[in-house]
Amino acid sequence: MATRTDEREEPLQLTVPVEGMTCAACVNRVERALKRLPGVLDARVSLAAGRAGLEIDPSRVSLSTIAQAVAEAGYEVPLDTVRFHLPARGEAEAARIREALERLAGVVQAEVGPDGTVSVRYLRESIGPGRLKRALRELGYEVSERLAEEEGLDRERQARQQEIRRQFVNLLIVTPLAALVMLGMFHAYWPLSLFVPSWLGNRWLMLGLTTPIVLGPARQFFLRSISGLRHGVADMNLLYATGIGAAYLIALINTAWPEAGFGGRDATFYEAVAMLTLFIVLGRYLEALTRGRASEAIRRLMALQPQRARLLRDGQEIEVPADEVEVGDICLVRPGEAVPVDGVIVEGYSAVDESLVTGESLPAEKTAGDTVLAGTLNRTGAFKLRAVRVGRETTLAQIVRLVEEAQASRAPIQRLADWVAGHFILGVHLLALATFAFWFFYGYDRWFQPESRLLLSAGALGQMGAFGFAFLMSVTVLVISCPCAVGLATPAAVMAGTGIAASQGILFKGADAIEATARLQVIVFDKTGTLTQGRPSLTDVVALPGTTAEELLAWAAIAERRSEHPLGEAVLTGARERGLQPPEPQEFRALPGQGVEARLDGRTVILGNRRLMAEAGVDILPLEEQAQRLEEEGKTVVFVALDGRPLGLLAVADTPKPTAAQAAAELRRMGLQVAMLSGDNWRTARAIARSLGIEQVLAEVLPQGKAEALRQLQEQGLRVAMVGDGINDAPALAQADVGMAIGSGTDIAKETGHVILVRDDPLDVVAAIETARFTMKKVRENLAWAFVYNLVTLPVAAGVLYPLTGRMVGPEVAALLMALSSLSVSLNSASMRGWRPRRRSGPASPAPVAPRPLPQEVGR
Amino acid sequence: MSPRRMLGPLVYGGLSLLAGLLFLLAASLWSDAGWGQRLGGAAWVAFLSLIVLMPVVIPWARRRSS
Repeated sequence: MATRTDEREEPLQLTVPVEGMTCAACVNRVERALKRLPGVLDARVSLAAGRAGLEIDPSRVSLSTIAQAVAEAGYEVPLDTVRFHLPARGEAEAARIREALERLAGVVQAEVGPDGTVSVRYLRESIGPGRLKRALRELGYEVSERLAEEEGLDRERQARQQEIRRQFVNLLIVTPLAALVMLGMFHAYWPLSLFVPSWLGNRWLMLGLTTPIVLGPARQFFLRSISGLRHGVADMNLLYATGIGAAYLIALINTAWPEAGFGGRDATFYEAVAMLTLFIVLGRYLEALTRGRASEAIRRLMALQPQRARLLRDGQEIEVPADEVEVGDICLVRPGEAVPVDGVIVEGYSAVDESLVTGESLPAEKTAGDTVLAGTLNRTGAFKLRAVRVGRETTLAQIVRLVEEAQASRAPIQRLADWVAGHFILGVHLLALATFAFWFFYGYDRWFQPESRLLLSAGALGQMGAFGFAFLMSVTVLVISCPCAVGLATPAAVMAGTGIAASQGILFKGADAIEATARLQVIVFDKTGTLTQGRPSLTDVVALPGTTAEELLAWAAIAERRSEHPLGEAVLTGARERGLQPPEPQEFRALPGQGVEARLDGRTVILGNRRLMAEAGVDILPLEEQAQRLEEEGKTVVFVALDGRPLGLLAVADTPKPTAAQAAAELRRMGLQVAMLSGDNWRTARAIARSLGIEQVLAEVLPQGKAEALRQLQEQGLRVAMVGDGINDAPALAQADVGMAIGSGTDIAKETGHVILVRDDPLDVVAAIETARFTMKKVRENLAWAFVYNLVTLPVAAGVLYPLTGRMVGPEVAALLMALSSLSVSLNSASMRGWRPRRRSGPASPAPVAPRPLPQEVGR
Repeated sequence: MSPRRMLGPLVYGGLSLLAGLLFLLAASLWSDAGWGQRLGGAAWVAFLSLIVLMPVVIPWARRRSS
């Protein structure tokens, strides 16, 4: 096998780009070709994304076999090539190098020339030049600069540009020829009769004008249909080829042998051939233009990846390609430069713009110890960072991969569309067959009127025979059908939706996640760390008469100076925020379950609960009323006493995030039920829920009971989302219809859940639901249009209105309608580009990407 | 071409031809159209039948021969 992987036993997920697909039938063809391969466990192909998502057994199937199967089906897996130069090696070493490289996942073929040139063909989605270079270094070779690199920044864009160019050239050829054919065809009608010479209507001249159209711009349809039929697959091109080919053949026969009985001299369809080709090519051209824009989100993300990095090695600053930075390298990032890899700042300070990666609109202040992400922009100061994640492991690369996978996935709503599109082309040919037989044997004799006309045409059908009339109807049926719109309806919108979401720091793991999110009824938030900051902070300082708040807090801070408890940290932080610098106590004692005791300069301070105060004989009765009120609000109260005399009390609580209440209100406004799940006691949980305006509370739920609580909601027939930490709440996220992992920051790869919210902002839940609903609205619009179009136009093309109106749709009008239908789906999806969720403009979260602690309960 | 690989073309080719011939027979019995039109119709029916049958028969023949 040519390509092997590092982990041969495990099934391998692989995304492979596929070029040349034009409709849903192409998708089926590629999918079938891939699924037939031994070792391919699953294959899902997306037309809009131009990718195949594969699950393979790498020990049984190689990337080169996959590429070959795709090629045999008539399509192409674009591969990149990179060349390195090694000192010239013998045959044995060349074989070793070849084998080592081909062992890497993503390498299709490696060749080592006698001059030491190593040429590697690889899949850019799986591996990069940096990893290849590292592999060569690991073999002990010094790799010099690359000789040439043909990978291209964006093969997909190149392919699309090629398609746009190709169809544009076709348009340039077909447009003037079609115009001449139309002038010739209608030269006898006013006002054309005034200035168009009659010789332009000569049938032989029109044959001469039409033939280059068939052999030139229309050739692509014949080649692709033949290639498809040889593999037993019918696609869109077959409809075009049949329509154009049949019309041309009849026109040719009626020109050369008008007495052959196919309708005579007047039944030539040159204008149909010309206009059919013109409209189909125009449709293809416009579609290539619009479809290219749908994948801009991915391209924008990929473009963020800096190409170069400044490394500090042995005190020297050297510039290297960013994909060659290795974990542990120290990089220098100057103001205005992009961060080359994920890393931790070791020196310096700056404001970093993370908007393009995480969607966070405000620049984040970064200093030593903070994490910075590849692709983010350094705004103000210079800093040094130590590389933590490089190459395919960076957050940016993970986001790109997730979005690619989501775009290649298929929504459940697409199943019907896929089934229809997959059987559509054969169905249309059967309908064309039935239409022909009906009009030939029955309809012509019953309803044909010689003075009847084609729609939007001046000419009467005249003495057209049964064959010509039935044939025209039959060809029109073939041409007017638009399976492309059915096949493209869902993936085009899903692709645009996932792109929009990704630009906002919202990552849907698949099209099914978008569909499920759009249908949600209940949103359950985990309390700690999701709706609240996840760490206790000092909220109230109540001093008894004779003591100032500052004095009370100072003594409390001294008592907690050596404490490691989260509550102690909250008191210390609160004191420091108020400008206090508590001295170190001379003695300190932690009293488990009660509090702490400390001694400074001969004075004893105790801090703790009622039991501690009772045991120390401190009378806290004057504080009791205040204490109960604060406890009712869900706060944890501690008393402070100095030398046996009460000074006052402090209250500590986990405070809500600034946008939590707004998020809950927005969700309710959107018609969703909002609930909160907490491990805290009912009193604390209710107090927090009340402050956020949340009515449904599930409290005292143990971590392992969260999934059960969700199951109970689901058993009531509700579609439930769980919003929580992707790692700690994994079972609950998995149980929910939609698991939303919030605040994952840099650890996207570790996340469970169907939706990943990169930032730590509850408003992103609102944005995710808005985006999913908007995307599904577009999907429904596209599907409705595609189905309604075909349901209405096919019977009309088959002539159901002819007996009533005496008019029929000609093939050229049918081609125009078909092109417009396909284009309307693409345009409707492309129109999503400017849309943004309304609620995404809320206040930024204070710590957008920092990992945070998650204490489940606060108290001693 | 080996006999196994001939199976598909024989089936879809034969059935398409049969469809064309049936059309010709029906046209001869029930239609006033001239011979040219009848033959043209038969060719068109055979061609459409071929297109319908090929994607159905080829995978079937492949499965049978593998």
